[in-house]
Amino acid sequence: MSEIAFLTVAAAAELLRGKKLSPVEYAKALIERIEHHDGRLNAFLRPAPEIALEDAHRAEAEIMRGNWRGPFHGVPYGLKDIIDYAGLPTTAHSKILERNVAGADAVVAQKLRAAGGVFMGKLSTHEFAVGGPSFDLPWPPARNPWNRGHFCGGSSSGSGAATAAGFLPAAVGSDTGGSIRNPATMCGVVGMKATYGLVSRRGVFPLAFSLDHVGPLTRTVQDNALMLDVLAGHDPLDPGSVNAATGGCTSELGRGMRGLRIGVIRHFYTRDMEGDPEMVAGIEAALKVLESLGAEVREIETAPLSEWNACNRTILASEAYAIHEKWLRERPQDYGRLARERILAGAFVRAADYINATRVRGKLARAFHALLDGVDVAVTASSMDPACRIDDPEAIERTYGRQARAPFNLTGGPALSVPVGFSGAGLPLGMQIIGKPFTEALVYRVGHAYEQATEWTRSHPVLG
Amino acid sequence: MTNEIDIEELRRMAAEIGLTRLDDEHLQQLLRATKAAQQRRAALPAAGLLPADEPAHVFRAERDAGR
Repeated sequence: MSEIAFLTVAAAAELLRGKKLSPVEYAKALIERIEHHDGRLNAFLRPAPEIALEDAHRAEAEIMRGNWRGPFHGVPYGLKDIIDYAGLPTTAHSKILERNVAGADAVVAQKLRAAGGVFMGKLSTHEFAVGGPSFDLPWPPARNPWNRGHFCGGSSSGSGAATAAGFLPAAVGSDTGGSIRNPATMCGVVGMKATYGLVSRRGVFPLAFSLDHVGPLTRTVQDNALMLDVLAGHDPLDPGSVNAATGGCTSELGRGMRGLRIGVIRHFYTRDMEGDPEMVAGIEAALKVLESLGAEVREIETAPLSEWNACNRTILASEAYAIHEKWLRERPQDYGRLARERILAGAFVRAADYINATRVRGKLARAFHALLDGVDVAVTASSMDPACRIDDPEAIERTYGRQARAPFNLTGGPALSVPVGFSGAGLPLGMQIIGKPFTEALVYRVGHAYEQATEWTRSHPVLG
Repeated sequence: MTNEIDIEELRRMAAEIGLTRLDDEHLQQLLRATKAAQQRRAALPAAGLLPADEPAHVFRAERDAGR
């Protein structure tokens, strides 16, 4: 069971294409695993075993006829429950949208359907991708598969937990201030916030229009690149969508590190915020590995993290409040405590402050991109701390803002979270690899070279 | 809006923007959230902005708009 549960997308695709693995047997094995273990992890808000089996039977028939669609044909996936799947509720994990049935697929769901993926169900999220982990919602919060007493990150909490737990090899999440990369770091999986506009947001419930990104969580870098290749593409009906080819996200995998220049933004986790010693040690050890592979590592300096975070949060709160104002007027009691408080932060932001935040964003992003002219990619922390306990609201509050992800929602460029080891308590550690807009293939190349030189993505949690 | 605002003043201000159904607990949340937003505003490096520094995202006319 554990062997099939932790198959990578790439390995499963080979077996499926070669008719050595049946999509139906694959789906059944994962459905059984979910039924057996998810009652303790809550990664799924709504499993969809009937749909999964239907998709799997269809994939099997097509593959048997020799009509193989590509690496996701017959491969299970899940969607964060802010992403529409026709005929199922999109609840955003909130009482507000409990009965909100999607009339059509989100574009990312359409793309995975067209790729022949096997839909396993809707995954837990923080309420409206902002309020969590919460115990006052209609569904419980997802827990960390490495230790269910701990936070699994968020807001794409179920996407991270389900992928790490071996419930599926790939999931879709969203990221406005770090919500793909946080659960990736906390759960020891790989999460990509790709370039703004590369993946359509149509059919995904918005948190903050100008910062929202949709993207993949997987257990390996190669799988992540394979999934982004499926998800990416111009959507003329998404006003933020860009008509730019990635050149193939897997195109640079295996080219190694020799000659690449890495800029380390060390001040984010040593001066602006003091990272947990184990997290810092994990990142520094990873940099040594990259250096040993032939990269040139140098330190680079950008604006203080406090300025980036203030800018991100001012924009996020303002845009989120505009989206939620009607419901906050009419039914504020139907929000969970955390989402209500975080969204209310936008109620009295002055227009001038919002606009100034967007002006600051432009300056910060331009300066950062100029800084990246001198290197190929940047590396920095993702979270400052390993996952805290999920039942300790003070620890959640204390560590929630201790992260260095929000800057890259502002720059709009790709930011990949990869595992870099484990804490003494056995909880995952992670770092980010950051690139200029549209350099996903290069960012994946660096992540893949590091992954191949280490063992972290081959470690999996043992579910009790 | 200042940090010294009392809850009755906040209730009045909330009502002015249509937030008439917030109970006392919600108002306490609004107070904390607003203070946090003010701290972020203070941390925003807006003083260095020049008049011509435009927002990161600006309106762009489309050649085929309205078709």
